[in-house]
Amino acid sequence: MSCATSPHRDPAIAATAFALWALLALFVLYPLAMLMGRVLFDHGSLSTAGIVTVLTDRHQVQAFWNSLLLAALVGLAGTALGFMFAFTAARARLPRGLLTAMDASVLLPLVSPPFTTAIAMIFSFGPRGLITYHVLGLKGVTVYGLPSTLFSEVLTYFPIAYLTLRPLIAGIDSNIEGMALSLGASRWRVFRTVTLPLCIPGLANAFLLLFAASLADFATPLILGGNQFPVLPTQAYLQITGLYDLRGGAALSFALLVPALVVFVLQRYWVSRRFYVTITGKGAGQTPFDSVSNAMRTALLAACLAVALVIAYFYALLLYASLVVALGANHALTLQHYRVIFTDGLKAIRDTLIIAGLAMPLGGLYGILVGYLVTKKKFIGRRSMELVSMINYALPGTIVGIAYLIAFNDPPIELTGTALIIVACYIFRYGPTGIRATVALLQQIDKSLEEASAGLGAGSGTTFRRITLPLIVPAFFAGLSIVFIRSMTAISATIFLVSVGWTLITVKILENITELSLGPAAAFSVLVVVIVFVVMAAIARLMRVFRAPGAMPVTSLLGG
Amino acid sequence: MNLADDRIGVRVDGVSKRYSHRVKGEHYAARDVRLVVAPGEFLTLLGPSGCGKTTTLRVVAGFEHPDAGRVYFGDQDVTGVPANRRDIGFVFQNYALFPHLSVSDNVAYGLSVRGQPLGTIAKSVGDVLALVGLAGYEQQFPGQLSGGEQQRVALARAIVIRPRVLLFDEPLSNLDAKLRVTMRQEIRELQQRLAITTIYVTHDQEEAMAVSDRIAVMNEGSVVQEGSAQDLYLRPASEFVARFVGRVNLVPARIVAVESDVVAVDALGIVMRVPPGTQRFAAGDRVSLLLRPEAIAIEGDAGAGPIRGTVVSHAFLGEKIDYLVRCGDTLLQVVRYNAGQVQVVADGAAVSLRPALDAATLLAGAPR
Repeated sequence: MSCATSPHRDPAIAATAFALWALLALFVLYPLAMLMGRVLFDHGSLSTAGIVTVLTDRHQVQAFWNSLLLAALVGLAGTALGFMFAFTAARARLPRGLLTAMDASVLLPLVSPPFTTAIAMIFSFGPRGLITYHVLGLKGVTVYGLPSTLFSEVLTYFPIAYLTLRPLIAGIDSNIEGMALSLGASRWRVFRTVTLPLCIPGLANAFLLLFAASLADFATPLILGGNQFPVLPTQAYLQITGLYDLRGGAALSFALLVPALVVFVLQRYWVSRRFYVTITGKGAGQTPFDSVSNAMRTALLAACLAVALVIAYFYALLLYASLVVALGANHALTLQHYRVIFTDGLKAIRDTLIIAGLAMPLGGLYGILVGYLVTKKKFIGRRSMELVSMINYALPGTIVGIAYLIAFNDPPIELTGTALIIVACYIFRYGPTGIRATVALLQQIDKSLEEASAGLGAGSGTTFRRITLPLIVPAFFAGLSIVFIRSMTAISATIFLVSVGWTLITVKILENITELSLGPAAAFSVLVVVIVFVVMAAIARLMRVFRAPGAMPVTSLLGG
Repeated sequence: MNLADDRIGVRVDGVSKRYSHRVKGEHYAARDVRLVVAPGEFLTLLGPSGCGKTTTLRVVAGFEHPDAGRVYFGDQDVTGVPANRRDIGFVFQNYALFPHLSVSDNVAYGLSVRGQPLGTIAKSVGDVLALVGLAGYEQQFPGQLSGGEQQRVALARAIVIRPRVLLFDEPLSNLDAKLRVTMRQEIRELQQRLAITTIYVTHDQEEAMAVSDRIAVMNEGSVVQEGSAQDLYLRPASEFVARFVGRVNLVPARIVAVESDVVAVDALGIVMRVPPGTQRFAAGDRVSLLLRPEAIAIEGDAGAGPIRGTVVSHAFLGEKIDYLVRCGDTLLQVVRYNAGQVQVVADGAAVSLRPALDAATLLAGAPR
């Protein structure tokens, strides 16, 4: 880096910043503007008549409140569950093997296609469900509605809370707890008056992240919500694909925008600034204080194990369902479903891999470029670039998908039906994770490293190439992993963007479910999980090769 | 590695640097700083935190651009020259070792940036690592080294490029007390051997006195006094320097008479005759009498010292004993060095004190 106060400008930086602004304008601001235009204007004149009809419809108002209710419940239950897991992992003195097993089972939902828990719910609790029908012998049960949607979403999203809370709890200096104990407090009192209060900002943060995730979730309520429990994302989708009412769908997605933005702003600019300083340092914990009694430890462990078992059971069920003729009716082993997905579904698999393969490196590159520019360089519009780059990430996928659909359907920029529109959607929607990883890493790299390089005679280009770049390589890989995982598993935005020419596995899964071909749906889901795991393992290996020995690791980013 | 032939001096000419601060508003980190460092000289900038010493050093390095003033290396005006073209060796407080490069790659970095052939680089790196006592550490990474070893790598990396000017920014403050003493001797010996013009920043007056040819004391952005360690200690020009360099008793006094080679002052209830120093005084002036704690002899009640006092407290520190003695309204620090058998004077005991007046100095104005 040239020194921040030195007056000369770098033309390469200016050109990069300009190019990024052009891309952000095209793929973030323009679609959003077009969405607003479509909602507010009708044939060129300002008109709210159409939207008011849609938004005051009793059914849609119900959907709005349902969305908020579901999100709040998922936020509460998921945070509680995540906290229990995080506290157990950080404080219950678990053996290493058990910890790894717990991590693995908890992370499964985060790398799965969106319908997996929903399908497993139907297999277990549906009319012919393994548990409801075969084990309990109940007849005519319905799995659809709030309870099953809530259950499924909590299982899918609580790992986010776990991932954000665990480093926080582990980072609390256990000497603080030991101090409270030495002053005569009981363990429970220490937990209640010291540990828990220190976690409150983290809990609020986790709640908001889960609230946002549930608010934006499209796949689970689509499968499990049923008619009794409509929510906004699914209503917007049905308005567009069922009633061919693009404007109404846009208006519904717009109603989602307000709570989503409120939550995003609260999370980024309010809660995240309230973390206590004492817990940002590294934990002293060489000799962790005994913060849980043995009985409590056993209870916590049992509870976590039970949840992990439910998850493991769901995934085992999915695998089993993909290998039998028809789960619940005919349990003869067969590879027929895999034959189907590798013949009829082959195009979707190929398309998805091509799109994910393109989005992955580009998204990784986008992440470190924006991250580097906004942290290390001074140029006009730096702060707003950081903000704009986060928009597509913060908005529910339904809004982004509909905005892209409106913006790129007609000239001047007609992209509908191409792979490019899906790739662009993934880059600008999931690349921001890489931006945040890059920013976090760069903030840990002391300014003096770049000054030392300059002092030894290196120009700003050499310094970037030989010092900064090797140190942010982990962020590059972290960013591209997330883009890949999401490209394989996302549906909420891209369901509006698929076409005859380019389709996606997740969309195929949805089609299979609606046609009640649950076998191929299960087979597809298993395939996605396998591909994601194989690619993640490959990236992890690559990272070991490329990661410079002194580079700082990136903490898991799946937590959002 | 003797650079004696192309040694150059450094001149800092009226450098100012302003910052806007959230609480203090616009303020000067450095204000019209003027320094001349002779070729091969070791100059230390000494001062409390926030006095502008690091800012001045960073301006010399080219990491900061001054708002006013010029910097010269020899005859060359380098004010507009970026840091990477100044040929400096900079040692950072946190060492700033590249964490992803091995020790030898860290040291080789500056040479490879200069496009030197690999064979030459390997030879220079080997030589300089041997020089700082790190032969055999080539393939280690910074994270595997102790603080002292990291410090040596930082030093090797700075000197291997044969810089025109060597700059140190509080290089020892992250080391423990014993290692600090060893390292400062090594730095001094290395600088003497290489004879590179050096500017060194520290807030530790003992460190400054141990390594420097000359010390510039800074306060509130300006250089307040320059000189050798002896000059600063024995003839401080201001109360700030007197208090910052070493421990001192500043006793309120009044001039009784001014003679040609001696000044008579009234302090601690008696009249003392002290050397006139550089400042001019007239009878009746209020002044501060500067007495170093070790320049006051302390004896028991029966002693013949002209000043009477009572021991308030004492601390036995091994090679010396620190006393705090009350004389009227004034508290005096007195040090008694141990030479063999010592008799510790108990708290509350009456004592007599005898100041060594030829080591005393006068400063204008009553002490603050």
